[in-house]
Amino acid sequence: MNIPANTIQAVKADTKIHSELKTEFLKRYFRVVHGLFAVLLLIQFLPDKLTTETYVSYVIWFAVGVEIFTLILSGFIKKTASLNLFTDIVGFIYGLLIAWTLATAKFNLLKAALFPPPGKVFWQFISDYDKILVNIQSSVGIILQGYLLALAVAIPLGLFLGWSARLGSAATYISKFLGAIPPIVYIPYGIALLPTFRSVSVFVIFLATFWPVLAGTMSGVMNVEKKTIDSAKVLNVGKFTMMFSVILPASLQQIFIGCNQGLTVSFVLLTSAEMIGAQSGLGYYIKNYSDFGDYTRTIVGLIVVGIVIVIISFIFNSIQKYLLRWKQ
Amino acid sequence: MSKIEINHLTVDYTEKKKSFTALKDVSFSIEEGEFVSVIGSSGCGKSTLLSILEGINTPTDGEILINGEKIKGTGTDRGVVFQHYSLFPWMTARKNVAFGIKQVNHSASRSERYKIADEFLDKVGLEQFKNKYPSQLSGGMQQRVAIARALAMDTDILLMDEPFGAIDAKNRTILQELLLELWENATPRKTVVFVTHDIDESILLSDKIVMMTANPGRVYRELKVPFERPRNRAELVQTKEYNKFRNHLLSLFYSDIADKIGGEEVVL
Ligand SMILES: Nc1ncnc2c1ncn2[C@@H]1O[C@H](COP(=O)(O)OP(=O)(O)OP(=O)(O)O)[C@@H](O)[C@H]1O
Ligand SMILES: [Mg+2]
Repeated sequence: MNIPANTIQAVKADTKIHSELKTEFLKRYFRVVHGLFAVLLLIQFLPDKLTTETYVSYVIWFAVGVEIFTLILSGFIKKTASLNLFTDIVGFIYGLLIAWTLATAKFNLLKAALFPPPGKVFWQFISDYDKILVNIQSSVGIILQGYLLALAVAIPLGLFLGWSARLGSAATYISKFLGAIPPIVYIPYGIALLPTFRSVSVFVIFLATFWPVLAGTMSGVMNVEKKTIDSAKVLNVGKFTMMFSVILPASLQQIFIGCNQGLTVSFVLLTSAEMIGAQSGLGYYIKNYSDFGDYTRTIVGLIVVGIVIVIISFIFNSIQKYLLRWKQ
Repeated sequence: MSKIEINHLTVDYTEKKKSFTALKDVSFSIEEGEFVSVIGSSGCGKSTLLSILEGINTPTDGEILINGEKIKGTGTDRGVVFQHYSLFPWMTARKNVAFGIKQVNHSASRSERYKIADEFLDKVGLEQFKNKYPSQLSGGMQQRVAIARALAMDTDILLMDEPFGAIDAKNRTILQELLLELWENATPRKTVVFVTHDIDESILLSDKIVMMTANPGRVYRELKVPFERPRNRAELVQTKEYNKFRNHLLSLFYSDIADKIGGEEVVL
């Protein structure tokens, strides 16, 4: 039988494509993270050493849920780097849960009152769900109010001070001085002067954000290249256009550095501010239950704070990436 | 009255209490609708002269009059192309051009501005790069956007500092023709001050060539370019007159340098 040469070639090409698809599939779905999932699942069936209820089924449901989510998302993420990042994070969570399960429920290596098994934390989270939601709302509300208010004041003020050569250098030193004071010391003054505890928290977040954003904006404005200002000048731009269409975008990167600092400090402060006297919020939730020795709820609170911070930072970074997309 | 009169212009730069004279007693004038090239060796003060004309720098002594009035700062009557490309990095090519148009033409709507911007970006050969940011363009492309912006602003006066310096030979020829065409067809004609290193370019484009000399920056010679317009590059460069004029310019250029070297020998 005579097989035409081009058919052989086509068949070869076909097997080549086939094997490429296969390696692509393997790369996408055969990852260490899924091995970790299997380990996590299997160790749940070891006998418990801890005598109290360990809520093993909650860990299993959580792990299965995350695994399904991971497999589905793996099909949608195009970039290898993003896929790696995603599976690394999931792998980290699995690893943590493995260690946690073994150290608590299975081998009881840690003090059970301080270190509840993961199943119990998940169970607590679900039974406290609505309470937690209210506290998230309260905390995020305070952060957003204080933070956005600070941006609304600090950025225009920084633009103005940085642009005015004379006030600028004095303001730099003053803001360095005032910015170096940890905002937590303002809390007693806030409590003395402001009507509600909520307004004290907003005030503290405001101050924590205000100084770094002001300093970042001023240094951004003062470092705008002369070339940029000259090209705006020869176009005869008005004062307002100069400020908001030229100086502002030109200093945006430095402004974001200040905003980032402000955000980090805000998170740290929010929980500490709420721990002092608030009746709601995540800081209050954590403080309240750790005072009562309920460390399961304390850990739930800590995890929720962590998740909220990650989500807010993610949104913040997306905004920053979008606004600075013109930088290569 | 001339369109631009430069009277006894002196510019000193002071750095750390040391003063350096970049321009000394420079005077010449430019008529309305005239195309003037400024040539001279590097560091002779060409960009300094333009910065005074642009209004972003003030002279130590002397003055410049435009339409009989002393320059005080920048003005919408002047379009500028800097030697070092100067786009706003956060705006796309199209936005950069449209932003320039907006500053001289407040009544144009955004879509009208974009239309004019696109038209000029097409003319400089960047139709495919309208939505790119400067960081995504080569140096020569950025300079072409800056040229498109200056041309699209449609000002009375154009101040261009080595606008084609960073651009490849082929595009340079296209842009020279474009500039000539726009200049020749406009009524009234624009007044152009064009800085260049390239002697052929200055002959092809200008009515008058101002040759400068360095240390301190002065006007060495002013020469009328004796060729009819419209000029055809290919034909012009083959004529005897062209080569004679070109050699004359070159000998002036080098005799200036020879003078300097000779002078120093006497000192030694
Ligand atoms: N901002 C400044 N401060 C101090 N000296 C300067 C400044 N700008 C220019 N000079 C000096 O003035 C002289 C003239 O500079 P200028 O840029 O005008 O030269 P140029 O003729 O445009 O040169 P090139 O052809 O290289 O662009 C140079 O010696 C330069 O060192
Ligand atoms: Mg120069």
